[in-house]
Amino acid sequence: MQRPSPAKFELLVRRDDDEDFELRQVASVVGYLNSRPRRVDEGSYEISELRSRLTVAPGFILKNKTTDRFLLLSAQERFLWDQMDGATALQEIATAYVLKYGEFDFEIIPSLLRKLQRAQLLTFEPRSRLRAALARNRGRVLVKALEFALTALERIRISSHNVQPFFQALYRYGGFLVFTPVAAIACVLLAVVGAGAAHILFRDVRDMLEGFGGHALRGILTVKLLFFASVALHQFVHGLACIHYRRRVREFGFTFLHGFVPTFYIDVTDIFMASRRARFVTAATGALVHLVLGAVAFIVAAKAPAGSFTQAFAAASGIIQWQALVVALYPFCFIEMDGYHVLVDMLGIPTLKHDAIAYVKGLLTGAGRVREGGSEELLWIGYVVLSTLSVAGFIAFNVWIIVSATH
Amino acid sequence: MQASAETLAFLRDVRVFESFSDPDLTILTARLRAQSLRRHQILFREGDRGDEMFIVLRGTILISKAVTGKVEQVLVRVDPFDFFGEMSLFDGSPRSATAQAETDVELLTLGRDSLHAMTETAPHAAAKFFYAMVQVFMERLRRSTLQVAEATRWGLEATGLDVEAR
Repeated sequence: MQRPSPAKFELLVRRDDDEDFELRQVASVVGYLNSRPRRVDEGSYEISELRSRLTVAPGFILKNKTTDRFLLLSAQERFLWDQMDGATALQEIATAYVLKYGEFDFEIIPSLLRKLQRAQLLTFEPRSRLRAALARNRGRVLVKALEFALTALERIRISSHNVQPFFQALYRYGGFLVFTPVAAIACVLLAVVGAGAAHILFRDVRDMLEGFGGHALRGILTVKLLFFASVALHQFVHGLACIHYRRRVREFGFTFLHGFVPTFYIDVTDIFMASRRARFVTAATGALVHLVLGAVAFIVAAKAPAGSFTQAFAAASGIIQWQALVVALYPFCFIEMDGYHVLVDMLGIPTLKHDAIAYVKGLLTGAGRVREGGSEELLWIGYVVLSTLSVAGFIAFNVWIIVSATH
Repeated sequence: MQASAETLAFLRDVRVFESFSDPDLTILTARLRAQSLRRHQILFREGDRGDEMFIVLRGTILISKAVTGKVEQVLVRVDPFDFFGEMSLFDGSPRSATAQAETDVELLTLGRDSLHAMTETAPHAAAKFFYAMVQVFMERLRRSTLQVAEATRWGLEATGLDVEAR
């Protein structure tokens, strides 16, 4: 399809003499050069220097505190970001860039603007793809009703911004024990014993889950409820870790993610300004809640009478808890959970998933610009391949569990 | 105004009078009033009251709408054989835009009284006029829709807004 020529406006500009005027054609490209990009308010983002293991040059990590989206900026992009104050036109920004660096890269500004828009650091962006699809089909009554229901659910948000004293007290009155060597050793021991119990139990999955027999619904609901509670505990431990490293817990609450996934959440983004070790511990310890609970569940199941409801319930809980552990810590599953954040932190590539998917999509479709041969490109391909295999393996494992339990 | 052969020939090429018979055109011409504007002279401003439509005989009229301060957006250029101001002719509403001569201009003016008179004395011609006018309205409505899309495109290009990446 032929690209249309840039749009133009014809404007009539009056002079002091009321009847006299001048006609000016303003092409959109002129508007573009004169536009004044404005970054979001200062309290809505954080920026910090980050050294990457892959590149020698220092980079900067920019975080949208509202959406939890991260961007990696080069020093040049950081310079441009600093100019985007809403008062400086793009043309002036480009001039400043040339004066500072003595050269000009014609792609850097549009590319940065796109990145910033995607991260909602320049403009307000719509919501999920599901919501966008619903909005497109709003004419249908059913779709409209669904959209309305999701909007109503999304508005349900129970949260508190004054949680720092609570988490400080929780840490002081016992929470600190989680971050001691004794706790770490106990965690490992529990995991080993739990794994042993699981190994024994899994010799006959069918017998183990028979206990659900006449109470399948009760069993499923109870397991789900317990898991839901463990998600809250997971978030609590993130908060305690944040306190452990003397950073601030900004918010804790409950909401419906995308309008239909009930979840607890905690804002520990302040840990981002601490050391890498602190970020790693904060991410990992939350997920370890599932390791401990799963191990305890498997031990209980191993001790419970064979074929009883207690055994079935405990075993099912153990499976779900350890699956949650894997999903939370395993970075290669297309989900941005704790393990993913640790990985991208170590690599210094906060947009790994997005970049990897975009790159591989480009390779497969032939669309976009595909670079070859670099370490980043290999990493992107590796991420997509590993994630695809992992998701397939995860699905296969769950299918095996269901088939084993029903045949 | 006298129905000269030149005026009758001109009116036959005006869209809304195309279907008029010669006698109807002669009656119409008698009800039209000639008017001249010098270059840059303002005929009417946005918000003025009015009950006339204008047919451009010679020259060009700029129709513009205030955007901000002393800046107006040029909506359309009206060339010979075309007309403007018809909205106020029908409903007497304030002018929705400003009309100003880009060059020296000669106009023919049709007032609401003349239109009413034509409806009574030559209803057949009036019906043709209204039918043609409805078609013109529809065309202008379509053009407005395109202008909205074009304005949106301009805004997207000017801001570099990345809407395809979603």
